[in-house]
Amino acid sequence: MSPAILTHIIRAVLLLVIQVSVFDDLPIGEGVHIMIYPLFIFLLPVEINVFYLMLIAFGFGVLIDINTDTFGLHALSASMFAYFRPLIFKLFAPRDGYDPLTETNMFQMGFGWFLRTFGILLLIHHFWFFLLMVFRISEILYILKITGFSVVLSFILCILYQQLFLRKPKKEA
Amino acid sequence: MRNFLAFLRQFRVILFLVLLQAVGLTWYFDSSEYPRSQYLTSANAVSGTWFQWQHELTEFIHLKENNDWLQKQVAELEEKQLKNLIKLDRSLVKVNDTLHMVQYEYMPAEVIRSTHTMRNNYFTINIGNNNGIKEGMGVFGVNGVVGTINSVSEHFATVKSCLTENSNIAAMIENSGEHGFLKWNGKDARRGSLTGISNDRKVKKWSKVVTRGSAGTFPQGLPIGKVEKTKSIEGKPLWDVTILYSEDYRRIQRVFVIKNVLRDEQLELENNLNQPK
Repeated sequence: MSPAILTHIIRAVLLLVIQVSVFDDLPIGEGVHIMIYPLFIFLLPVEINVFYLMLIAFGFGVLIDINTDTFGLHALSASMFAYFRPLIFKLFAPRDGYDPLTETNMFQMGFGWFLRTFGILLLIHHFWFFLLMVFRISEILYILKITGFSVVLSFILCILYQQLFLRKPKKEA
Repeated sequence: MRNFLAFLRQFRVILFLVLLQAVGLTWYFDSSEYPRSQYLTSANAVSGTWFQWQHELTEFIHLKENNDWLQKQVAELEEKQLKNLIKLDRSLVKVNDTLHMVQYEYMPAEVIRSTHTMRNNYFTINIGNNNGIKEGMGVFGVNGVVGTINSVSEHFATVKSCLTENSNIAAMIENSGEHGFLKWNGKDARRGSLTGISNDRKVKKWSKVVTRGSAGTFPQGLPIGKVEKTKSIEGKPLWDVTILYSEDYRRIQRVFVIKNVLRDEQLELENNLNQPK
């Protein structure tokens, strides 16, 4: 097993444990629900086949669903996240394309790029999650409200996660 | 045929997404009513053990509350003991009672995982099949009804709590006997609602709401909450009754699983009733 795969597996386990044990227990109120596990799908290699990506995302979502008794909500929104990832990546591709050696985290790709891509993907993910959870068009304003608040909080915590657990590139003097 | 294959090739990514979504949606809508497999809920052995560890680590935080409640309960039961009572009538002698038999047994359990921010909230408790827990049994908390057992594994079980959209526990207003089903709007963990109360009857504010005991899951008269306000539903002759739950589900720690000894008998009888002869 190559160290790259091992890194991803460790990250998946870490995010799963944090998500299930901390953020699913955290009472915030107003229906806000923090989800940081999409970061794992986001940081998978760029050149990965989209079918594998969607399968991995679905499976990872199922694991979270099992532990939080949500019966498929996380799997549904995670596979949606995986479907849109290549599209958004293409839209915001750097001029020379992606370097297969660099990871798509906020240190390597820059904060502006990370804000745009991950922000949009997280918005799609959260919106799909809350839409299916509430499942009532009459409460669309409520869905938009909790989606907005949750995305902001989840995004801040994903930045924090990267600050804590990822190696920062050394600045060239 | 070739066109069809070309179509498949062109839209294969989105078709795969649709397939995955279909699988997920089937799971979601099937299981919120009735779970297929205990392996796909948090009652499975691995998750259960993990939450048990987590619970043991954080248990001490609520120790004081639990002790306060226990002491209150002991005092209440102590008052009912024979040695603390005075005989009013010399002619009555207390003998071993054969007129009553136990219908409901209470098994203590601890909540090892709970949520209250989702639309449908499920709790995980640390007793299961080995203690005789079965699907559909009632769960009672410290102050009020918690929910019904949803899925069971060897050592753990999940509870479909009153904080699900259709917990459908049969409830009634204690004094008037008006009855309906318990629902939740998915937002406020302190308040639920009671449906099916006809608006030609008056519903008094702050009257007690208790279990009706018709389905055989709960005995009659367990507290659920109090009527906070009533509002008429437009176009229907019904009240929309808001209940303030007596149990605070956000900090629930200890529960009792209620086993009805005569449940099978009741269900068998009711099934026979429904079959056309």
